[in-house]
Amino acid sequence: MISFWENLGHRATMLFLAFADTIAFSGRVFLRIFQRKTYSSAMREVLVNQIYFTSVQILPVFLLVSIVFGSLLIGIVFTLLKQFGLTDFIGHVLMGLIVTELAPFLTVLLITLRSSAAINTEMAVMKVNREIKTLETFRIDVIDYLLAPRVINGIISIVLLSSLCSIVLLVSGILFSRLIFGMGMDVYSKILLISTNFSDIVIALVKCGIFGFFITLIPIRFGLRASHELTSIPVAVSRGMVNVFSAILIIEVLSLVTKLF
Amino acid sequence: MSRDLKVGLFIGCTVVILIAALLYLATGKGVFEQTHTFTLSSRSGDGFAAGMPVVFSGFDIGKVAALELNDEGLVLIKIKIPDRHVKWIRSDSSFILYRPLIGSAQIVVSTVNLKSPPLAENQIPQVSIVNDINDAIARIEPVLEKVAQIAEHAERLTRNLSDPKGDLNRVLGNAEKITTNLASKKSLAEMAISDEESLRSLNDSLKKLKDITNNVDRLLIKVDKMADRTDEQLYGSEGALPQANVILKDMIGKLQKLDKTIDNINTISSDASAGTRDFEILRSDIDDLVDSLTDIVKKMEGLIGTRKNPEFKAP
Repeated sequence: MISFWENLGHRATMLFLAFADTIAFSGRVFLRIFQRKTYSSAMREVLVNQIYFTSVQILPVFLLVSIVFGSLLIGIVFTLLKQFGLTDFIGHVLMGLIVTELAPFLTVLLITLRSSAAINTEMAVMKVNREIKTLETFRIDVIDYLLAPRVINGIISIVLLSSLCSIVLLVSGILFSRLIFGMGMDVYSKILLISTNFSDIVIALVKCGIFGFFITLIPIRFGLRASHELTSIPVAVSRGMVNVFSAILIIEVLSLVTKLF
Repeated sequence: MSRDLKVGLFIGCTVVILIAALLYLATGKGVFEQTHTFTLSSRSGDGFAAGMPVVFSGFDIGKVAALELNDEGLVLIKIKIPDRHVKWIRSDSSFILYRPLIGSAQIVVSTVNLKSPPLAENQIPQVSIVNDINDAIARIEPVLEKVAQIAEHAERLTRNLSDPKGDLNRVLGNAEKITTNLASKKSLAEMAISDEESLRSLNDSLKKLKDITNNVDRLLIKVDKMADRTDEQLYGSEGALPQANVILKDMIGKLQKLDKTIDNINTISSDASAGTRDFEILRSDIDDLVDSLTDIVKKMEGLIGTRKNPEFKAP
């Protein structure tokens, strides 16, 4: 019985320490983002490459998925609104649910599945191959060279791609509002204007930034925790991805709580 | 195209689209529009909140910017109205805090005369309060009292149910006795009569009744057959009614002929009647003639009586 409580206490302490460690690490990386010396020419090159791989390369597929998924979603939501006689709430549903909630969520899911997993694996492989150690030997700041570009890329990519997804959804909304409700462009834009709250948009953008920060930082963190054995790579990747999805859910809940106040 | 250019184009275009969308929203929402601030007052700040909409004819024309408490204890409500909507706020406008039962509260502006002078920014009109919630509570209160009464009755009923000596339990006990009694008897009749001799008599009577019913059934079958036969005799092709029909038709034909005879008789009779009238005239003529003859005879007798050889010369 006592060993059970000891075990539980040990696990809780470890969890708390890991959480505190991650927050402290996040703070260090976050502060480094705002320091001028971080932005060396090598770092900028890495940043451009990261943005290219994360956003530009994926853009056609991302736009296609946004159009297909967004049109489907808006079509279903509009049809349901019409069936339940909730046409008056079309603007609030469009802005409050689809644009500020579902678009960031869809974007973060796609980027997490594609880029976070890649970053996590890349970091774990670098750790196994002792590349990190080599960088440190050459006195190259790992945070500046490896972490900061990836984290900044995460923030920029999620914010921009999420905004693009929202705009695609709004354009789909024009088409579906005409098809389902027979609504003109003027009426549609007026409804959107009435239903839009700038605070919601700001919260959505900040949320996207936080998503971008953590869906790159957590995989890096868990990738760097890999040992020097090849077998530690899948363990580090799976743990990192589980933690990334947990972080996404926590951020989503926190953003909803923020909206309540 | 270099990687740097692609990334630059992506960031540049997306940022431009994002800023354009935000600017469109900001312009549409009147963020860059000049606003006018008016101050309203109320005895209580209950129901007021910053950001609450100000509505004119069902349209949002502004919002509550801030709430303050002045030195006299009055609540000052600062409302911000964009330039394009300021024309609806006049010096005689009335401001009502409307708190619906469902939905958020709002300040409703109503202006009777739109030509009256604009409301001065230093003028502080008072806000009236319309509270659907209090009205609803006032209406619900009697209903709640009734519900309480019903609950009390329900409680009484449940108490009665739980009481072993209660009416319902007694009824249930009696029902149990009846069902037990019914279970020990062969039939309901046995339970109702309870005397075996009477039950046997009842059974015998029922058997006799059954025989009687059978006899009546048989009789009814016979009557039915008789009725069929009578029907055939009366209505059949050789039946009495068709023959009577033929006779009647014959009689009608004969009567029609008789009608003609009677008509002739009537004619004869009228002729005879006319003849009779002629006879009467003839008779009167004869009577007159006879009378004349009598007179003549009398005269002749007179003549004859006075003469020796009475001779009469006939004309």
